[in-house]
Order: sequence, then structure tokens, then C-alpha cells
Amino acid sequence: MTTDEQNIITVQPWHDPAAKPFIRLKNITKKFGSFTAVDNVSLDIYEGELFCLLGGSGCGKSMLLRMLSGFEQPTSGSIEIDGQDQTGVPPYLRETNMMFQSYALFPHMNVEKNIAYPLVRAGYKKVEINQRVEEIIDMVQLNQFAKRKPSQLSGGQQQRVALARSLIKRPKLLLLDEPLGALDKKLREETQFELMKIQKQLGITFLVVTHDQEEAMTLATRIGVMTAGQIKQIGGPQEVYEYPNSKFVSEFIGSVNLFEGRVTEDTENHVLISSKQAGCDIFVGHGVSCAPNQKLWIAIRPEKMNISANRLEGKNNIINAIIDEVAYMGNMTVYHVKLNSGMIVKITSPNFSRQNSEIFQEGKTVYINWADNAGVVVPS
Amino acid sequence: MSSTTKKSSFIKSIFQAPPFRWTKKLLGKIGFSGRGLVIAVPTIWLLVFFLIPFLVIAKISLSEALIARPPYSSLLEWDSDGLLQISLNFGNYYYLIDDALYIIAYLNSFKIATISTIFCLLIGYPIAYYIAKSPENKRNILLMLIILPFWTSFLLRVYSWIGFFKANGIINAALLNLGIISEPLIMLQTDFAVYVGIVYTYLPFMILPLYSNLVKLDDILLEASADLGGRPMISFFKITLPLSVPGIIAGSMLVLIPAVGEFVIPALLGGPDTLMIGRVLWDEFFSNRDWPVASAVSIIMLVVLILPVMWIQNKQNSNLGES
Repeated sequence: MTTDEQNIITVQPWHDPAAKPFIRLKNITKKFGSFTAVDNVSLDIYEGELFCLLGGSGCGKSMLLRMLSGFEQPTSGSIEIDGQDQTGVPPYLRETNMMFQSYALFPHMNVEKNIAYPLVRAGYKKVEINQRVEEIIDMVQLNQFAKRKPSQLSGGQQQRVALARSLIKRPKLLLLDEPLGALDKKLREETQFELMKIQKQLGITFLVVTHDQEEAMTLATRIGVMTAGQIKQIGGPQEVYEYPNSKFVSEFIGSVNLFEGRVTEDTENHVLISSKQAGCDIFVGHGVSCAPNQKLWIAIRPEKMNISANRLEGKNNIINAIIDEVAYMGNMTVYHVKLNSGMIVKITSPNFSRQNSEIFQEGKTVYINWADNAGVVVPS
Repeated sequence: MSSTTKKSSFIKSIFQAPPFRWTKKLLGKIGFSGRGLVIAVPTIWLLVFFLIPFLVIAKISLSEALIARPPYSSLLEWDSDGLLQISLNFGNYYYLIDDALYIIAYLNSFKIATISTIFCLLIGYPIAYYIAKSPENKRNILLMLIILPFWTSFLLRVYSWIGFFKANGIINAALLNLGIISEPLIMLQTDFAVYVGIVYTYLPFMILPLYSNLVKLDDILLEASADLGGRPMISFFKITLPLSVPGIIAGSMLVLIPAVGEFVIPALLGGPDTLMIGRVLWDEFFSNRDWPVASAVSIIMLVVLILPVMWIQNKQNSNLGES
């Protein structure tokens, strides 16, 4: 596959094949001198979606957001929102609103005035402004804080004000830049579900930028995994987790064991891959489009592998190993096991019962195995 | 061992050296701690150079003018019965209120200072804004240019305006040569020249506090305003301007207060009609040799200036306490 083909990721219309995309990014490139921040990204987002752009810092996800809101112009390519080309439209005329990572609340205005700001700018009547502000303050449960200044609020309350302020104009697209990044873990988990509830209630299309894969998995209808200015894969949370299309995606989302190998037997319903790291032939129980002797990687999630004290019956995908480290996490136990090749493999095993007799001790010789269809073959 | 620990142990050894230790011990015995000493320096400075002179002036303002040396009466006197007599003369203050000249001079000083402050603000704000929005490496050069005039004596800079304004000065010569005017304009010794002089001289005092306020303004607030539908002009008036009020107040105070008492600029550039309190003060001291009245003039000026400043400070502090 050439990189060009990878970049122009044509998304399957989501759910309904006849659906028309609501937000359309076509071949967006953004360059700063010789540095390419966003590299030929095409992306369709559908109305009412909660789309997550997931990537590490500097992958270009925030730049995409800034181009959608109009703070930056793409070097090439076009952005369409609800069928209207956004080229040259300044931020204050766009029907998008942004929730900033730092919230960007106006420090000299109280909660009410902050939230009313977009409506005042749009020239709404005072009666309507008051009514809508009251409604949204109710929704984000800030009633007792309406007269307070932002500096008198906690981080979580400030986050609600920012959300209310960016939602009150009912934008066609709400852009959220690391919306939960400044909250502590517990509050973040609560707020995630609240955010989803509000999004469903209002039916506004959300585009969330985050570096937190758990957050993306929880929130998103679809996730776009970004690195180095490109979107590597677009798909639902389950799709990107269970069917990653590349080594990068499989490693970025969740943890994974990657075995490098070469195709030795290629039939219609199974493939045999010889891997020095695994120390055996890996049997893949379905056909894979590959050339004979092609270099491939098999990505297997830790929870899809088993450990047993005795060698199980069967001949495929069973490897002898030594327990290297054990970490008891409560709901599950994480094992690091060492193969003969020296490779460390991560395996998680759920703790079904309260007795810890089933937990293997360090240094014990065990057998690890996985099902024929547990792994995903990725070409690069 | 790293150089920093070496350095700090070197400094430590200085503080532990006998002369230092002994001094510290001695000061400690008479009730001075290190912290007390640090605070003592500015306290003594203010006491000697501000409070005591102020009390001296206040004392003189309550005495009577004499043709003597010093040219005022003493407040404390031993009378013939050996009693200590205190005579306070409030006549000087009454005289100031009674004579319209002083009130007019005060009002005129305030008028000139206020108008100059407004012009400083109108000119200084865009400059401060521009510097604050410039790239970081350019800012220091621009600030340097603002401070640069201070390297020349204030008196010389005011003098140089005479060269611009006089009948055969630079401005008139240029306008005459261009044929725009046929007769030289009278600019020197007018209120106009005084305004130009004050605005020119005090502009940096407006720009610097405004700059230090505006540079702290987070650009993301303006982005948020734009994102929420505020056009650039609206964003300026609704976000930037309200948030720069502390800078505006600080700059205005720094211009207004010295401008009210300004003596040199109206003396050099102003005409006989330019009545400012600084000049009245000069005349009372040096021409009339009426030290008590001159002292009363300066005491009233101080009170009139300090009260609004204290009020504003108080208000700002209570605002801070709120947020």
C-alpha cells in the first residue's frame, strides 16, 4: 500500500450507506515552512456524531481543530460544513464553537455573562438571552454559581461554564480541545458520561481532540488515530481496537504483543507464519492477502492469550515460556512471560475466583497459547 | 561535586565568618532580626526623606511670614512667664481659599494635567498594544526605544521643544518654506506648547504600565471571543479594554500626579497666562519669600492628589479581594 492510498482514507458511510457527510475535510495540508503539521488529511464526519481525533502531542490534531474553527487557514485543501465551503470565512462568522483546553473564560465576567456572550454578540433579544442562559445553566447544574467570577470556581465548574458557553449558540459543530484534560481522574470519568449525555440530548455534532485513548474509546462514535500529521485509521472504538490496520494503531490503542514473521504457507482459509521471536510457526485461522515469504506482524492483545501450567492439547500457537513478572491488579493479573527467543510477552488473565491458587509465581515454566483467530495480521 | 553546591557552601562560610556572626549577635541583642533590618532600610529612607520633610513643610505652613532668617515665625515660644506657648496660624490656608488666584491655579493645573493624561492615554495605548503584540525578540528593542529619551536630561529635552516652536523655529521655517503659511505661527509661550511638552515628557510613564498589563493578556481570550462571534473591534472593547483597566489607572496616575505639580514645562514653554500651581509655588517661595503660604500651597496640593489615589487603590484592593 502506498502512503498516498493510506492518506486518502475514504470512510465508509457510517451506518447508513446513503448518508451525506456533514463535515467534510478534503486533502487538508498545513505547512509551516518546511514542516508539515497536517499532511493531506481527508475526513468525513456525519451529523450527530461524536468523533474523536486521537494522537500524541504534535501529531497535528489540534491544528485540524484550529483550521475547522477558522484560526488557521489550510495551506491546501478545503473544509465544508453542512455543504458550505469555509475557505476564507473568519472565526466569528463560522457556525462552529470551540471549547478550549484552558477553557478561556473571560475573567472579568461572571458565569452568566460568560455564557451569554455568544448570544449578545449575535444580537439576540435580552428576554431570549436570559431564558436560554437560564436553561443551559440548569443543564450544567451551575445555578448557585451564576453570579460568580471564573476565578471563584473549581476546575470542574469552570469546565462546565466553558461547555455551556460553547453550546449555547447551538453550533453546527462543537470542537473540544482536550475537554477533560485538566480534570482529575475521578471527575474525568464522571464528566465523560455527562458529556455524552449532553451531546445526545442536543444532537450537536462533536469533534473531540484527545491524547487519552481511554477517553476516546469511552466517548467516541468513531475514532481517527493520528500520527505525524496523518490519520492512520478511522473506525469505531471496537474496530480500531480489534482490527488495527497497522503496527502503530495496534500499539497506540491498548497494549499488544507484536510478533514479526514471514509467510511460509498461504492458503485460502489459513496462513502459517514463521516467527523467530515466537520460536514457532504461528497459525492464523483465516486467509490473509499477502505474498509468499512477505514480512508481516501478528498483533495479539494480552487478554486474548492464555497461560497454563501443562501443555494443552492441540498443535497450533502453543509456546513454552517462563514467568518473568507478575502484577496483581485486583480484577485481573498481568504477567510478563519470557520466551526462549528472549521476547517478553504481556498476558492478562481475569481473576474469576477469590482464591489466588490460579496465579502463577515468578520463575515458573508455563505454556502460553492463543486461538487461531486471536491475532490480527498487519502488514506494516 | 557540582559548582552550585561549592558556591553555596562558599556563601555559607562568609555568613559563618566571625565578623559577620558577631555583628548579627550584637544586632540581635538590641532587638534586630535579619528581616527587621531589610525592612528598616526603606522605612528609614521614607522617614528621613519623606515624612520628616513633610512635617517640616506642614509646620512652616502653620507659621507666620517674617522678614527674618528663617523667614517664618516659630510655633513654639517661651513667653515671659516661662510657659511654652504654641501659636498655630491657619491664616495661610484661609488666604489660599480666599484668593481666587490660587483656586484658579489649582483648577488650571488639574485641567492641563487631565487633558495631557487623556492625550497620553490615546497616544500611549496603541503604542503599548503594538509592543505587547510584537514578537518577543522585537519587544525588548521597542521598549528600549521608549526608554531611550531618559538617557538625555529632561531639561534639555524640554528646551529642544523651544527650537521647534519659536517664531523662526523648525516648524515655522518648514511651513513658511512650503508656502502653507505666510506669517510665523505663535506656538511658543502658549498652552498648546505646554500640552505638547507634558504629553511628550510623560508618555513613557503611560506606555510602560499599560505594556506590562497588556503583555499579560492571554491571546486565547481573544480567540475565544472571535470563536463566539465577536468581531475584532468588539473583542477589543469587550475583552482587551476592560482587562487593561488596571494598566490604564496606573499609567494615568503616573502621568496625572507629576503633571499637576509640573513647574519646568510651563516655565519654559508656557506663556504668562499659563497659570499652574507649580509656578505659583515657585513665585511664593522665591519672589515673595512667603514660605508659610508656599508651604500651605504644597500641602493642599498633596492632600488633593493623595485622596483620589488612596480611594482608587482602596477600590482596586477590594476588587482583588473579591476575586
